[in-house]
Amino acid sequence: MADRPAHSTMERLLGVTTLAVILVAIEASVWTGSVNGFIVPAPSRILTRSFELVASGEVFLPLATTLYLLFAAYFIASALAILLGILMGRFPAIYNLFEPLIEGIRPLPKAALLPLLILLLGLGDTMKLTVIGLAVFFPVLINTIQGVQGVDPTLVNTARTFGYGTGAILYKVVLPAAMPLIAAGMRVSLALALILAVITEMITGTKGLGYLIVDMQRSFKVLDMYAWLVVLAIVGYLLNAIFIFLERRGLHWASTRE
Amino acid sequence: MGSRLHVSQLKKAFGPVESAHTLAIEDVSFDVDESEFLSIVGPSGCGKSTLLQIVAGLIPATSGAVHVDDRLVTEPPEGLVYVFQQYGRSLFPWRTTLENVMFAVQRKLGKAEAREHSREYLKKVGLQDFENHYPWQLSGGMQQRVVIARALAAQPKVLLLDEPFSSVDALTRIELHELILDLWTKHRFTAVLVTHDVDEAIYLADRVLVLSKRPTVALESIPTGIPRPRHPIESRETPEFLKLRHELLGRLLGANRNG
Repeated sequence: MADRPAHSTMERLLGVTTLAVILVAIEASVWTGSVNGFIVPAPSRILTRSFELVASGEVFLPLATTLYLLFAAYFIASALAILLGILMGRFPAIYNLFEPLIEGIRPLPKAALLPLLILLLGLGDTMKLTVIGLAVFFPVLINTIQGVQGVDPTLVNTARTFGYGTGAILYKVVLPAAMPLIAAGMRVSLALALILAVITEMITGTKGLGYLIVDMQRSFKVLDMYAWLVVLAIVGYLLNAIFIFLERRGLHWASTRE
Repeated sequence: MGSRLHVSQLKKAFGPVESAHTLAIEDVSFDVDESEFLSIVGPSGCGKSTLLQIVAGLIPATSGAVHVDDRLVTEPPEGLVYVFQQYGRSLFPWRTTLENVMFAVQRKLGKAEAREHSREYLKKVGLQDFENHYPWQLSGGMQQRVVIARALAAQPKVLLLDEPFSSVDALTRIELHELILDLWTKHRFTAVLVTHDVDEAIYLADRVLVLSKRPTVALESIPTGIPRPRHPIESRETPEFLKLRHELLGRLLGANRNG
């Protein structure tokens, strides 16, 4: 991760200004009647409605539903991907065993597997966790393999001369050394997990954020549809921000090193 | 046998077919006594590092054997520590200086005791005030001190040094020489130093083993005969030192030319 110098306040303001100008332009178009206020409500009304959803606590259940699905799949799939990735990165025999299978499934957009998975697993949590998990799995796996293969043999040999066995070396040397790349994969996967969680909800009718957006649109509650979209955008933004925060804290040694 | 380190008829070929091209080490035998300091010199590309890594049990020999205290080496043996040439690559960047040293002993001692023990060794190399720094926050010479502290914290019977001073500046190198000699005098471990620097080889060692160019054989083993304690300036100006330096350089340059 290349560290750029922190943005100055001035540069930040510039970006916020762009956003503000667009919002004001839409707001004005709605008020002057040049845009249909039913299809595109005024941003001020959307934001007010989003705020109401949060303030009233109405947001809680759908949010919890989406986040539960997302995190359960994310953590299970990441853990499995890291485990398999370490073994594949470290042991050529295991790599050769799984490589064709992985290259076969990896390029598929995971959303395309939904009909098949519904057929195989039904509409329950197993299916939802599977489809989100599949999306999470591959970026973490590929990055883990790369990270592990890139570990400096000197580090491993150092541990060997101090009498560390294979298991201890994987856990204490290989895993931390590969962590910057693993984390990069996990960041990509977090975004994918949110996308797949939303799509899964839309298709299966699970009462989370994704479902609500479809449901509001179908019931012509267009303002609410926008309001839930805003909530979803904020959730996505916060997830990424929290991830970056944790990554910087946990891997400070990787980004500051030359 | 009976010596601390016994290396007999080592041969190392890379690749499946043994030929002049794949044969790196043809025949190397030597012994090192308890608390002896041996330097191994040879022309570049003669497989010095390979030799040392076989001795450390990091890579297998094609034939021949290494014994540490009469025990056959098949994997990295207990009581033997290897100091790698690339100090920057053998320190764990996610561990602080102290945690890097603790790595050598925390399996045996447990965390609390390992911490105290490691502090003691950081102090021996003069880095007690840097225990919470990360390796990449230290200069090259300081990083190599951490590596030395970590190696000695394991209280090795045998310390293998693979060109450990080759990538620091000349003055730092002299400081590190003094440090290693001082620690060797106090702790009396067996030291084997691989280097292409003839001055360094003579200055530190009791004996210098000369290797030929590839495929490598051991040419000869010469006691330095320079009295200890050694002095970084005067010891290098004694007639014994200069004579040996002359002889070794001649041999190495000759080996490079026609070999």
